[in-house]
Amino acid sequence: MTDAHVVGAGIIDFGEKYDWSFEDLLEGAYLDLVESVDYGVDPTNDIDGVWYGTLDIANEGSSGAAVAHATGLFETPATQIVNACATGSDAFRNAVQAIKAEDIDVALVIGAEKMLDSTEGLIGGAALERLWRGRGVTMPAFFGMRATRHMDQYDTTREQIAAVSVKNHENGTKYPHAHQQFECSVDDVKESPTVSYPLNLYDCCPVTDGACAVLVASDDRAREFTDAPVRVAGYGLSTDSFQRGDDLALTNFPASRHASSTAYERSGYGPDDIDVAEVHDCFSITELITYEDLGFCEQGEGGSHIDEGIPHLDGEQPINPSGGLLSKGHPIGATGVAQIAEIFEQLRGEAGDVQVPDAEVGMQHNIGIGRNATGAVSCVNILER
Amino acid sequence: MSGPRYHRTRRQDQRLVGFECQACGFVSFPDEKRICKRCGDAPAEFRDVDLASSGTIKTFVIQEYLPDDIEVPQPLAIIDVPQADGSGEPTRVYGLLTETELDEISVGCTVDVRFRELFDEGARPINSVKFSVPREDKR
Repeated sequence: MTDAHVVGAGIIDFGEKYDWSFEDLLEGAYLDLVESVDYGVDPTNDIDGVWYGTLDIANEGSSGAAVAHATGLFETPATQIVNACATGSDAFRNAVQAIKAEDIDVALVIGAEKMLDSTEGLIGGAALERLWRGRGVTMPAFFGMRATRHMDQYDTTREQIAAVSVKNHENGTKYPHAHQQFECSVDDVKESPTVSYPLNLYDCCPVTDGACAVLVASDDRAREFTDAPVRVAGYGLSTDSFQRGDDLALTNFPASRHASSTAYERSGYGPDDIDVAEVHDCFSITELITYEDLGFCEQGEGGSHIDEGIPHLDGEQPINPSGGLLSKGHPIGATGVAQIAEIFEQLRGEAGDVQVPDAEVGMQHNIGIGRNATGAVSCVNILER
Repeated sequence: MSGPRYHRTRRQDQRLVGFECQACGFVSFPDEKRICKRCGDAPAEFRDVDLASSGTIKTFVIQEYLPDDIEVPQPLAIIDVPQADGSGEPTRVYGLLTETELDEISVGCTVDVRFRELFDEGARPINSVKFSVPREDKR
């Protein structure tokens, strides 16, 4: 069986891209990829398959035909992947599986989301009317529930939760593709408007358009594209629901534990081996509990973990050097792919002002919430140089 | 919530009835299924169980930012509701809080079931359970 290797990445600047159509986003990321592969790529001859991640919130891009329209890759097998906020990372996982199965040699993974054309429908009305029989579970409420319980059960402080957002905004100012380019203090977070107590505005990721693409290749083909491929060492995917009665699901995400356990097992690495990680921080609390779920600290110690500076850019195990979803933005289909792209750059030493020194093993993680809003899907990928 | 969806859960919405998996004891509410969410038994044997008229808050939020047509603040909790006869396991549900001061809400506090209009869908109001801090506990 062959390994799969990331051999190139392309991204557009994330932001409020009112001048860009959904197809423009895809085209932009794809062109950036084509232009940045070290030894070049001949798209119509090299690429055997396309995994395309989008929730298609703008309602302009369902099916593989949409990505062919944007990239010109007609006739190449193209599959749309939809898996809530883990869409991009799961598109990547599916491409890796196809390469490892030796069904294809070179895959394009591309994710995009046009969030700003239909924000109300996504975040407000849909959540209230369609989620869980009208009981009004919005995304800030879903994640805020974990914050309330974590503070009660583990004496986690409001300031510790806010510190995640402070860290990621600081990182975002050093990452050129980030949407939100400003720093904020713990007080700024606490004093920003309440969205869903205990979470305030700066605890929440912005609404952002974006797209990202990566090229993945087999052992046989990887070095045609670069001398510095990044190997996919492991991956995992799992689901959970708080309704099943496990109290852990009131503060944390069992799905992240299952998915990361699988990825650790496949890769032979453990939490201490991860030099840098891009994890899901749709809300500040999400990253704090993810430290625990991925094994970066003990259960209940996420608050002291950030207090000690471990996940900071200059800490022992930097988390979200790109600014995370909180600063970079969260265009859903693009999010996971952009995290893969960042880990690719980190492991090649090309991450510029947010470079983690000597990073050899990196992790990417997403949490997604379906429209029944009682549980999560989690996808984890581990890369190594 | 549309008419057909309301119709499908009318029994649970109008009576406090849950569905207990006879293989593992999991209590499903308001979902009435033939497969158990916890143990995966398929098809599972479920027994109707009456739920108690009060429960315990496991965690909560107070939603302040919602679309213009939704009243705020909108407190929402995850609540364990035991079975009426005290046997077996509780069911774990989402519940909107009503007729409750915001500073009365805490993790671990007891809340009573109230049958209320959940949302008004124009001509067809959706009635189901909400929860409130018991009156005798109020300051």
